[in-house]
Amino acid sequence: MWKVLLFLFIYCGLFGSSFYVYEQTRSQPVVADAGRLLPVAVKSIEKADGEETLKRIVEKANETGDKLTIAGMQHSQGGQTYYPEAVMIDMKSYNKIIKFDPVEKTITVQSGATWDDIQRHINPYGLAVKVMQSQNIFTIGGSLSVNVHGRDIRNDSLIDTIESFRLLTPRGEILNVSRQEHADLFPYIVGGYGLFGVVLDVTLHLTDDELYEKKTITMNYSEYSSYFEKEVKGNPAVKMHLARISVAPETFLREMYVMDYIYADNQNELSKYNDLKEERIVALPKFLLGLSRYSDWGKNLFWDTQKKYMGNDSGTYETRNNVMRSDTNFMAYESSIRTEVLQEYFVPVDDFPDYIDDLRSALEKEEEFNLLNITIRYVEKSDQAVLSYAKEDMFALVLLINQEKSGKGIKRSEAVIQKMIDVTLDHDGSYYLPYYSYPSKEQLTEAYPRIGEFFEKKKEYDPDERFTNFFYEVYK
Amino acid sequence: MTYQRFILSQSIIFMASSMIFPFYILLLRNVGDSYSQFGWAYGLFALTSALSYPLIGKLSDRIGDQNLLLFYSLAMAVILLLFPIVTEVWQVYILQMTMGVLGAVQKNTEKTTLARKVEKVKAGGTIGRYHFWTSFGAAIAIIVTGYLVDFLTIGAIFYIASLLYVVSGIVLWKNNHSEKVKQISEQKRTADI
Ligand SMILES: Cc1cc2nc3c(=O)[nH]c(=O)nc-3n(C[C@H](O)[C@H](O)[C@H](O)COP(=O)(O)OP(=O)(O)OC[C@H]3O[C@@H](n4cnc5c(N)ncnc54)[C@H](O)[C@@H]3O)c2cc1C
Repeated sequence: MWKVLLFLFIYCGLFGSSFYVYEQTRSQPVVADAGRLLPVAVKSIEKADGEETLKRIVEKANETGDKLTIAGMQHSQGGQTYYPEAVMIDMKSYNKIIKFDPVEKTITVQSGATWDDIQRHINPYGLAVKVMQSQNIFTIGGSLSVNVHGRDIRNDSLIDTIESFRLLTPRGEILNVSRQEHADLFPYIVGGYGLFGVVLDVTLHLTDDELYEKKTITMNYSEYSSYFEKEVKGNPAVKMHLARISVAPETFLREMYVMDYIYADNQNELSKYNDLKEERIVALPKFLLGLSRYSDWGKNLFWDTQKKYMGNDSGTYETRNNVMRSDTNFMAYESSIRTEVLQEYFVPVDDFPDYIDDLRSALEKEEEFNLLNITIRYVEKSDQAVLSYAKEDMFALVLLINQEKSGKGIKRSEAVIQKMIDVTLDHDGSYYLPYYSYPSKEQLTEAYPRIGEFFEKKKEYDPDERFTNFFYEVYK
Repeated sequence: MTYQRFILSQSIIFMASSMIFPFYILLLRNVGDSYSQFGWAYGLFALTSALSYPLIGKLSDRIGDQNLLLFYSLAMAVILLLFPIVTEVWQVYILQMTMGVLGAVQKNTEKTTLARKVEKVKAGGTIGRYHFWTSFGAAIAIIVTGYLVDFLTIGAIFYIASLLYVVSGIVLWKNNHSEKVKQISEQKRTADI
């Protein structure tokens, strides 16, 4: 009998310790963002279900000394939304539409709302967003904090379309921020990566939903700058634009196709086209993208198919709202050892052909580097935000890169990416900040000459560094 | 009576092990990194099992099936407490190897017990019934667990399974105990005569 009791005694002890350790690890949730390169244990995740909750979270952190980070959809890829041992505020449920004025064409939304939420609300009124990403899966708070840009070519970046917002400061106060009120903060918070407090609700300017006719042509990269100046920028009827340059070995960084969205003559037919499109069945592009991950012939096939598909699309119509909700599912990539990361480089429009030549020679030696896609868009010069990336009228090249998640994979990508950024900086370019912290500190300073000023303001405004994230901790 | 207890304990064991196995893979997914690591985890399990069978066979002849089964249940109860807290792949490998040995203990002794207990003439029917009850327990457990994981965490599944092993251990122990008592009283009786 005593043997049984002894066993039960020891067992209970083991059970208790195991459970304790388990609870301990579970209460420290591990988070990672879309880059999947930086999984870390955070102290806790707090749901932002209202203004009072948010205020309480900040007040409590001020008492306990906890660090805070802010997360939207976490599509940023360098830990901009979290930090080890910090409390992560999850904004997703803070997503109501507060006010909509179809006559003034403005909308006020809580910052956890996504572009999709807005599009569904305003589409029936014939209105559309002015500036956003090419996809609609992101939150307004996350988009404001990185100052996004997209296919629209007639506004500069998102900052251009923001009327005002409310900010929950590191001290727990609520401020109205606009170009008139607390105007000094405005250019720091837009594109400020959540380092100045929680953006509560945002008022945005909207525009009319319009019908566009798509026009696609293929060309050699050397013709692109002049084509763009004359046929795109020079033609007021073109409202949106994007291009792709080949990453397939046979045509590597030479062949391009461009797509212009031209204000259609038959605007009265808008209602025939303005049902919001939903994600389509993505089997084919997904399969082709899959092939191109693994082989050169896959890349050639993907490029040829893309070109053909885009060519067939020429002459068809799409509404503005639908252009700004393109598919994302086909990009979804599940692998436990590899991941896909983004990079975005900005180069002055005139520099484009030389830049591509230099980029090609830099990449030709990098056999291992698995580059899957380059999409090109245009951003107009904008110096409103302190961390502005468009120092002049620029082409923005988004690179999709498949890489190993391991430390070795990260090192390899870092070497190539730093080289590409050097090429970019040599052409008076810059790069985009919501991605993994591959760039060196020197590169950051060169691309963002006002970064010192930005960090100083941060320290002055938030001396306890209550709000933080990987981006800040790596580069401050 | 003792044979029924044997079936009862085995049914509980099957319930516990089928609770964890389908969901075990979820845990491996959290910890493991690639399909090759999956392969290793299960391969090591099978390999250690294979290597330990001959030894276990001899042991069961020497120290008795019941004792081995009791050891199996209690060892499993303890091992399962480690599963919720593993964080590294190498830890999974070690657990898999231990489970490999224990799995071999269970499989071998289950069969030797049946071989020793079952009357040869009626073996078909008896073993059929044995499998019915144990598989029935397993099936119920899998279905119920499917719902449980929705409410509880994967960790909780391991804790519940561990407790089930303790219960099956107690059932086996009582079995051993009552058998010994019976033996002793029989010895007494023969001595009396
Ligand atoms: C597939 C893909 C496509 C993309 N396409 C484009 C594109 O076309 N154009 C473009 O410009 N960018 C693009 N990006 C980048 C993307 O716009 C940014 O990563 C954006 O921040 C994502 O929004 P999010 O809701 O996921 O924000 P998160 O990644 O969650 O957050 C981004 C930053 O904003 C801060 N933040 C979030 N909410 C708040 C808030 N309420 N108050 C204060 N700070 C806050 C966070 O702390 C963090 O620093 C793309 C990214 C991916 C992965």
